[in-house]
Amino acid sequence: MVQLSLPTNSKVEKGQYYKDKTGSKNIRKVNVYRWDPSKNENPRLDTYEVDMDNCSSKVLDILNKIKNEIDPSVAYRRSCAHGVCGSCAMNMNGKNGLACTKAHTELDGDIDIYPLPHLKVLKDLIGDLSTLYKQYESVEPWLKTSKVNDKENIQSKGDRAKLDGLYECIMCACCSTSCPSYWWNGEKYLGPAVLLQAYRWIIDSRDEDRKERLKKVADELKLYRCHTILNCTNACPKGLNPAKAIAEIKKMLATA
Amino acid sequence: MENKNPISPHIQIYNWHISSLVSISHRVTGIINFITVTLIGIWIASLLLGEESYVFTNFFLSSFVGKFVCLGVIWSFTFQMLSEIRHLIMDLGYGFEQKTTKVTGLIVLIGSFPLTVIIFIVGRHLI
Repeated sequence: MVQLSLPTNSKVEKGQYYKDKTGSKNIRKVNVYRWDPSKNENPRLDTYEVDMDNCSSKVLDILNKIKNEIDPSVAYRRSCAHGVCGSCAMNMNGKNGLACTKAHTELDGDIDIYPLPHLKVLKDLIGDLSTLYKQYESVEPWLKTSKVNDKENIQSKGDRAKLDGLYECIMCACCSTSCPSYWWNGEKYLGPAVLLQAYRWIIDSRDEDRKERLKKVADELKLYRCHTILNCTNACPKGLNPAKAIAEIKKMLATA
Repeated sequence: MENKNPISPHIQIYNWHISSLVSISHRVTGIINFITVTLIGIWIASLLLGEESYVFTNFFLSSFVGKFVCLGVIWSFTFQMLSEIRHLIMDLGYGFEQKTTKVTGLIVLIGSFPLTVIIFIVGRHLI
């Protein structure tokens, strides 16, 4: 169901203001979405004044600085800090991305940091991705082959090249949570991240389950809720193209 | 148990891109066109009622408001047409590179205006 406004319990209120205590002249205001599950309150937007003279280059560095030096209660996911694990996916100044690869110099004005859009919030910047993981499981993202031998399963160079731009996906969910179709139909529409993964196995020359896979995904809601809005491709922090992968699935179904 | 956790902000905070703007406009113009075609059908059917109804529609379409509505409807059609061509090309699997989508999106957004004027002028003076 298309719901443009947030439910009353999700409306973001004005939060606390943390004034700079270092006396720095190079201050940047950072607004962070906060919600504490242990309190019966609405989400709020806290503002932190951050000393940019002593802060490294990425948005994640700002968050770490806030957590270490200003307010240890801020919760967010992070792990590798090199754009490989996909943990720190969040919405920064209105666009999804990885906090660890996004340079704060690329963002204009005050920095607004929200969790990935249209998810159930678990705490602060942590959104609940369990629906997406279930959908990922539903496309059976593993090789299905009848070959049982102890040698390598060989693929031509051309066939291998077809997986480029697909295998690099780190499942950070930046694309799926940027997609309005996924916002309104997230329970049924698989979303760009999962469909890109589905295509990764459909196009794999070693997989013997292509027909079944295509049949499974060919569904009004699962696949065709993609209206090529292209927010996914715009958002992908790895420079991949989920919209094109979805279009290729549609093309395969139309020409099969 | 019902999950009472809040939903994170979505359309309220997400930036608009050219492609998302074209996409939403495509929907809106689609609805406008649907209504327009219905109205044109009713208009043609109303001619069966005789001269009076012809004079009435003629009067309306010649008025300032009528002309404005005409222009608006033509724009809605040209926009839909250009956007549809863009979608056809994308359905063939082309034009998904970020730069290309920006350029084609801009062509649709900007191109629909001169095309509207051309169709309006051609319609008024040649037909």
